[in-house]
Amino acid sequence: MPRLNSYRELEHLRTSLLEQRQPITHTVMICGGPGCQIAHSDGLVDALQKEISSQGLKDSVALRATGCHGFCEQGPVMVIEPGNIFYCHVSSQDAFEIVSQTLVRGEVIDRLLYTDPASGVKIQTEAEIPFYRDQDQQLLSRNRLVDPCSIEDYLVAGGYSALSKVLQGASPADVIKEVTAAGLRGRGGGGFPTGRKWLESYQAPGDEKYVICNADEGDPGAYMDRAVLEGNPHQVLEGMMIGAWAVGAQQGYVYVRNEYPLAVQHSRIAVEQARALGILGENILGSSFSFDVNIARGGGAFVCGESTALMASLEGKVGEPRPKDVHTAVEGLYNKPTVLNNVETWANVPEIMLRGADWFAAKGSSGSKGTKILALTGRIKNTGLVEVAMGTPINTVVFDIGGGAANGHPIKAVQTGGPSGGCLPVDKFDLALDFDILAEAGSMIGSGGMVVMDEESCMVDVARYFLEFLQDESCGKCLPCRTGIDRMLEIVTDIAEGRGRPEQLDLLEELGDTIAQTALCGLGKTAPNPVLSTLRYFRAEYEAHINEGRCPAGVCKPLITYSIDADKCNGCGVCLRSCAYEAINGEKKQLHVINAELCQKCGICRSECKFDAILVA
Amino acid sequence: MLQLVEINVDGANIKAPKGSRVLDNAFEYGICIPHLCHIKNLPGTGACRLCVVEHVTNGYSKVTTSCTLGAEDGMVIRTNTDRIRKLRRNLAEILVAEAPNSRAVQDVAVRCGVKEVRYPFRNEQCILCGRCVQICTDTWRARAIGFVGRGKDRQVAYPMGIRPESCKQCYDCVELCPMTITPCDGPIQPGQEYLCGHCESQLMVAEDIPGSCTWCRLGESFGCGRYG
Amino acid sequence: MPATTMENILEGRRSQPHQLIEALHDVQDNFGYISEESIRTLSQELGVPLMEVYRVAAFYKAFKLTPSGKNVITVCMGTACHVRGARLLLDQATTQLDVKPGEVTEDGLFTVEHVNCLGACALGPVVVENQTYHDHMTPGKLRNLIQRCGCQDKEVGQDA
Repeated sequence: MPRLNSYRELEHLRTSLLEQRQPITHTVMICGGPGCQIAHSDGLVDALQKEISSQGLKDSVALRATGCHGFCEQGPVMVIEPGNIFYCHVSSQDAFEIVSQTLVRGEVIDRLLYTDPASGVKIQTEAEIPFYRDQDQQLLSRNRLVDPCSIEDYLVAGGYSALSKVLQGASPADVIKEVTAAGLRGRGGGGFPTGRKWLESYQAPGDEKYVICNADEGDPGAYMDRAVLEGNPHQVLEGMMIGAWAVGAQQGYVYVRNEYPLAVQHSRIAVEQARALGILGENILGSSFSFDVNIARGGGAFVCGESTALMASLEGKVGEPRPKDVHTAVEGLYNKPTVLNNVETWANVPEIMLRGADWFAAKGSSGSKGTKILALTGRIKNTGLVEVAMGTPINTVVFDIGGGAANGHPIKAVQTGGPSGGCLPVDKFDLALDFDILAEAGSMIGSGGMVVMDEESCMVDVARYFLEFLQDESCGKCLPCRTGIDRMLEIVTDIAEGRGRPEQLDLLEELGDTIAQTALCGLGKTAPNPVLSTLRYFRAEYEAHINEGRCPAGVCKPLITYSIDADKCNGCGVCLRSCAYEAINGEKKQLHVINAELCQKCGICRSECKFDAILVA
Repeated sequence: MLQLVEINVDGANIKAPKGSRVLDNAFEYGICIPHLCHIKNLPGTGACRLCVVEHVTNGYSKVTTSCTLGAEDGMVIRTNTDRIRKLRRNLAEILVAEAPNSRAVQDVAVRCGVKEVRYPFRNEQCILCGRCVQICTDTWRARAIGFVGRGKDRQVAYPMGIRPESCKQCYDCVELCPMTITPCDGPIQPGQEYLCGHCESQLMVAEDIPGSCTWCRLGESFGCGRYG
Repeated sequence: MPATTMENILEGRRSQPHQLIEALHDVQDNFGYISEESIRTLSQELGVPLMEVYRVAAFYKAFKLTPSGKNVITVCMGTACHVRGARLLLDQATTQLDVKPGEVTEDGLFTVEHVNCLGACALGPVVVENQTYHDHMTPGKLRNLIQRCGCQDKEVGQDA
């Protein structure tokens, strides 16, 4: 495809691509997201390709490996249009049937359909499945439409028309006004009003300015940005271009964490394709706007998700944050005005410019507009990526979309916002997903990670987990974060291992409060949140550990004992054979017994027992 | 070109060069903000956080370190509010619990109002204040030592553990180290980590005199103005 | 040939300090770790003070300053995997191989690593054995996996 030198040429290309696709009667979209990939969706794509060829359907069937569709628990998933037919748990063995029955004869394969757990009924279309029906997929739905490595797909889906519209008729000030009116707030965790950030950079003096896409998604349990960047990199790029136009930047960077090699690869391909078409480079589409993007890899440091640390990393330095008395929007990368935004924030921009601020602001609550992608994981039936309008209550997400508890254990809490966030108990699930409402409740939306916990999760252990994580990731420069977190961990470990004292709870709160106010960067400042929120809502669990030497959830090793349920044990001996410490005794077909002195609580017997007879208390 | 601005510190109107450190300027006017990691005239790093102050702006006050805060016209700073004193005290408390075996550290703790230490004492040899690194990097530009590693593993080290040629053995790093300034009578033995009082540090007996100068040994070696 | 590869890595990056991290990635990918020699070379060619190159190499988890074991077992310790029992998996691996996370076993066959979230949360707990992902792991399955890896290597060792 030759370089595009004008808006007209862009539209011509789009039209001709659409024409080329006229003969296509069916489109098969297979999810290539991280979860489905591990479940071998690659093999499925190959198998289908072969079948489609051998049955002579190559010219009428479009096969597309896309980004994540969201329903990870049911993977590998695929959608067939027309008909919106949804197949789940598909394997390469099903390829022949799918092609000959569904594509050729239009017949639906029952066993591949999703079964509604409540009614037991098979559901044929994606749109009717409760998991999808209750969502508002503005961004995630785009993943179906494009093969991430195909700029043609993106163009056919209407891509780069927002950029074209902006370059033709909107001044930088117009763009900033629109984004501000839309009420878009940062989707990476900070929730800072995007329009205001752009305005600050726009007004900052200087000709050298930068835009950065923060794809360092470090929150464990969060993979929304990965899905958007891997699945639809061009939309992120388009958002960055519009932002660069608005603030006056000529160079942009996408900083991708090292643990996402596929996201790095897809971004690089997207950039090369955009450059080849002239959508990146000098005088884009014949306008006065020149802009280019480079992809940079992270080095495996959570702290590099913090804006000043990320910029230091881009400069080839150690990822140590620096004080932000002057905003990075004014003094950022190489001390120049820099707009740093999250992947999802950038991805929202093109639609705002195409459909207008009012369209975006019509969704959501008064303080938080638009939609948000969440990573719903943990002890829940339907784990996966979910997109809902801001203002949706947690209940809807956890029960209607998430399907409620997995394994029948009642849900106890939900952890939002990653290591910077907090845990909310079930009686707070009526709270709406809103930046300010959750922050007031002691948690935060953060990047969108939502981990569901049930009665088998110990909240003291959760606090300890996050403190260990933060201690591992702390850059170590400032005293409150480096030493303060260490001391909090020391106390929580004491409590978890049965050495806790009542006065330590107040000390935890005071220390946490001090760290929150004095730490140098966001990592340190929000580090006490998991501890403080679990203390606020689950103090009883802490007190049980301290006063009764008991771990109610059965997690903290020094406080639990493994034993065998006499009612369920049938003496099969599997546990005895699998125990590496010879701690189990029993005769064949007789009740087996665990010797508490030898038992190391490794958990193997429990995972091997088919009768659920191992008790932990 | 030097541009002077006016800032308000604890009610006093102070003229300061635009962008210069609030900490340094306050000191010039006799307002002592406790600090440890900052060396006069070098860029502040904000590592120890002891010099935190309240920067009152737009109707709310932001807690920030005065060694990294650059003076801007009309700035309002409070160095000694109840909130700040409590934060400083808690910070100094964890500091002294890490490394009680230093007269300088104990003096700073007194200055910050520490009365009791609620954490088990450790006996670290280095408090990672970074003064040695600053003098080697920012003043002598030798870069012979630096911070290596992250979080708990952070330590001051030579590149790959070998003293490089750029080190001219000026010993400034040793002279500026709070752990070696007026070393105490004898190191704390492992297993006996407590405040022994042998060095006559005031930490054992100080009265609660908020915000006043304790004629600390730290200041003496820092070249604090009080010592002339 | 190592010398040529280093040349490829340095091409286009000479006297560009901001390229340090990308260069270190290439060194790590090609040589498996960052040697003292590589650090000196990068310092000289990119124009970054030796202390700084060393600091950067030591700061980021992606860069190893010593070679890894023949098999790398990585346990995902993300929050979702954690609530599904990831800690038991890490304990299993470190106890079975008698090694601390990040270190190599005495026979050089294994390194146990932990990573903070691979982004495959629906399939947790996840363990990566070299480049292969394993989903829904349990301590029992992991024990078998490690034993299989160890047996394969021992057999190869005896033949060699």
